[in-house]
Amino acid sequence: MLYVELLAQGLVQGSIYALVAVGLTLVYGLLRILHVAHAGLFTLGGYIGVLVTNATGSLLLALVVSMLVVGLLGMAIYRLCYQPILDKPPYVALIASIGLFIAMEEIYRIAFGPYGISYQNPPLQDVVYIFGITLRLGEVAVGVGTLVLIGALALFSTKTRFGTVWRATVTDPKMAESFGVDIIKVRYLNFFIGSALAAVAGVMVALLNNLVEPTMGSVPSYKALAIIVLGGLGDVRGTLIAALALGVIEAYGTIYLGNYLDRDAIAFAFLILVLMVRPQGLLGRA
Amino acid sequence: MSITKKVMVALAITGSLVSASAFADTVKIGMNVPLTGFAAADGKSALLGAELAVEQANAEGGINGTEIELVHYDDQASPKQSVPIANKLIGQDEVMVGISGSYSGATRAASGIFQSEGVPYISAFAVHPDITKSGDYVFRTSFVGEVQGRAGAKLIGEMLGKKRVVVITLKNDFGQSLAAGFKAKAADFGINIVNEYEYSIKDRQFGPIVSKVKSDKPDAIYASGYFFTAGPLVSQLRAGGIDVPVIGQEGYDSEKFIEIAGPSSDGVLITTSLDRDSTVPEAKEFISAFEVKAGYKADMVAASGHTAAKVAIAAMRKAGTTDRQAIRDAIAATNMVASTGTISFNGLGEVKKDVQVQVVKDGAWHHYAVIDDQKLLTPPVE
Amino acid sequence: MLGLSGYEISLITSMGIAVIFALSLNLITGFCGQISLGHAAFYGIGAYTSAMLTKAGMPFGVGLLGAVIVAGLIGIFIGIASLRVRHDFLAITTMGVGFLFIGIMRQWDLVGGEMGVSSIPGSGLGKSGFMFLVLGFGVLTVLFSLHLKRSWMGYAFDAIADDEDTARVVGLNVSHYKLAAFAMGTALAGLAGALYAHNVRFIDPESFGFVESITVLSMVVIGGIGSVFGVVFAAAVLSVLPLWIQFIDEYKLLLYGGLLFAMMRFSPGGLAGLVKQILRHISSRKSLQKLSGGTKI
Repeated sequence: MLYVELLAQGLVQGSIYALVAVGLTLVYGLLRILHVAHAGLFTLGGYIGVLVTNATGSLLLALVVSMLVVGLLGMAIYRLCYQPILDKPPYVALIASIGLFIAMEEIYRIAFGPYGISYQNPPLQDVVYIFGITLRLGEVAVGVGTLVLIGALALFSTKTRFGTVWRATVTDPKMAESFGVDIIKVRYLNFFIGSALAAVAGVMVALLNNLVEPTMGSVPSYKALAIIVLGGLGDVRGTLIAALALGVIEAYGTIYLGNYLDRDAIAFAFLILVLMVRPQGLLGRA
Repeated sequence: MSITKKVMVALAITGSLVSASAFADTVKIGMNVPLTGFAAADGKSALLGAELAVEQANAEGGINGTEIELVHYDDQASPKQSVPIANKLIGQDEVMVGISGSYSGATRAASGIFQSEGVPYISAFAVHPDITKSGDYVFRTSFVGEVQGRAGAKLIGEMLGKKRVVVITLKNDFGQSLAAGFKAKAADFGINIVNEYEYSIKDRQFGPIVSKVKSDKPDAIYASGYFFTAGPLVSQLRAGGIDVPVIGQEGYDSEKFIEIAGPSSDGVLITTSLDRDSTVPEAKEFISAFEVKAGYKADMVAASGHTAAKVAIAAMRKAGTTDRQAIRDAIAATNMVASTGTISFNGLGEVKKDVQVQVVKDGAWHHYAVIDDQKLLTPPVE
Repeated sequence: MLGLSGYEISLITSMGIAVIFALSLNLITGFCGQISLGHAAFYGIGAYTSAMLTKAGMPFGVGLLGAVIVAGLIGIFIGIASLRVRHDFLAITTMGVGFLFIGIMRQWDLVGGEMGVSSIPGSGLGKSGFMFLVLGFGVLTVLFSLHLKRSWMGYAFDAIADDEDTARVVGLNVSHYKLAAFAMGTALAGLAGALYAHNVRFIDPESFGFVESITVLSMVVIGGIGSVFGVVFAAAVLSVLPLWIQFIDEYKLLLYGGLLFAMMRFSPGGLAGLVKQILRHISSRKSLQKLSGGTKI
């Protein structure tokens, strides 16, 4: 039973990784930049989630507001920060993004205080029993929410015309452009969707920990990078698999390897092992 | 702006800083404290606590009529920053005494500089055992981790009578030294450590550990951490259906812990140095004065910053000169009542005081017990 | 000595160490085009090696030498493994190496684990003596970088940084050159780390984490990737910037982050690029003046 419970915990953590990493891999697929500031948007999602819930009492409203605001901010970051430096070497955008991320963390600290904020009446804290394992409602919501959102995204990208164009563009931007796709529009869409998903992750993490701190994004800022590399950079399916796999590996690793290596080191040992065997990532093409 | 202009501006700024700090007719206490970055929350409390002590002292006439000035610099809790800051406090600001409101790494690195320059240095809440080993000019007004760990063992094994214990350890110097102290005394109090888990300071998700602890079926859990890790940990343990006592330490000691963990925080016990229900006037006065100054309730770090500054001020008054050797001797001979208890030092500069046990009741910290077993609480002497 | 205060000496020493550390990464990232997000691991390896050697009673010089050798050897080993991955995959792999290093140091009781290493012996040269030693090493590193840049190896690095596949086509042994860059860069980082250890005299795993790797990469990129003088200047300024801007208190890190961002957004070539732009601007104005018959415009 313990193994099943650890698996469930790993999948919950993996779902959160997935929500954050999908946005990052979408950006990478299109622009070839490592968008570290994405983790700052994740944190902002958490802040808006807690603030709106505390003000209105509605978690659902908070989720919607958070997705909208963070999604729009993501688009603004693309327009103001990345677009002007796209023709520069990739490390330029990387360092710009890191600078932006540091500044965002500091703005949160100055605006909302160094102690972080919490839900006054944290919702979804009840415990449910599923197949003999105990989970908090919030954890179930994370799993189900991720499934629904990623499922909707999959439907959108395979069943609608615009979705097909979008998918083709992320896979091969140059080719799509030569077919007359308005690539700028697709970029905006990417930033909106990716940032909104990160906002959902932020609200969810705030729910699970009942705490949003200025530095909440520091772990996702590098771990999400590891995940999209594992997934093969720009490959959404690979990223999802990598995210869930990493969540599960960390869950078992914390218990059985925790006295030898910490969570981060376990994750990166796994990353290095995979890359030594498959230098292009789990599903990436050589 | 051209590069040369930028350089000029930068130089001008440094220059103005230098001259601004050459203020006459005050006596200075220096402080390195993290105000930006991950440790900013603790730094802010420690600084406000120390400022409060200085304001209170100045209202009473400073040091024999001379005003006290608290010079502080942000060290981002980094040893790399604290070394030049220590040099600046000593060399340029010419402080009489230094206080650390920072974490272990930064404090350990700075303590070597203060020692070699012969300036007394008091660590407010850093726990690293090597800090006071820098030499005879370095003191600490908080417990070393080992002492608190031993107190935790007594609390669980003797006072609560719980014998099957799971230890959840924060993987840094704070957690490690607590665990070392706890394990050293566990057997003496009949405690059987069923299992030990380690987690990193960045972790907030403890699902896997909770699942495993459930299968360990302990009578009590000894978990080290800070309020931002302990809050999520305790609420996740309770949600996972584990309702045995959780025993923490001064790292939990903040209103924020109760806010994060919510109702799950009820009944959590900690070993710390600030008694919220204290009848001692010094502690009562501090608790109310701090809330007025800071706008939030006092925590252990704030009380520690206040205590360290108070010890420094008392020693400067007693020495009555600007001779640092005399001030050091006065600190070493300290015997005073502060917000965190009655403070005196052993030969190594480690504090000797009682351990307060606090419990969360009705959403607030309250008195539970005092551990005053001086033999158990003997700080290291070398 | 020289009328420098203890504070100024410690600032200059920090600057010097940062310059050596940044130039060591500049060899790998700047000259050879291989982005590393885990360079602080080698800084840490140097620091730990020298700390442990000198604590075991070895002289200071042996500590420094040991740091250079151990960091360089591990650098070559990591370099061989890293040859398998390219571009952004390499960047993230090196980041992984950094985290693995920290993870191992945290657990390794022999080197203090979480508690780090305290009471590391000083250099025995005194404060100003140590400062001059650091400056000496700094100057040597600058000269070495300049020499390397103009050497045949420097041209080969340049070609690899420019386009690895083309370099291979024209017959360069890309792997050898990459390994050479890794070996030199990590050995130098080891030297910088050893100097750091004997300066601060306390080290713990967290001092060599991801933040430190990012900080040194920022120095290289802000200075102007590949430019020796740009990197020297950026390393010197950025290493002491947090101390210079103490007066803005809690806005310090915000300014630092904003500066990184603004620099990349508005001057992607770093300081070196900025200077070039300004020089070009001045010379074009001069030539305009000539054209217009010397009349002021």
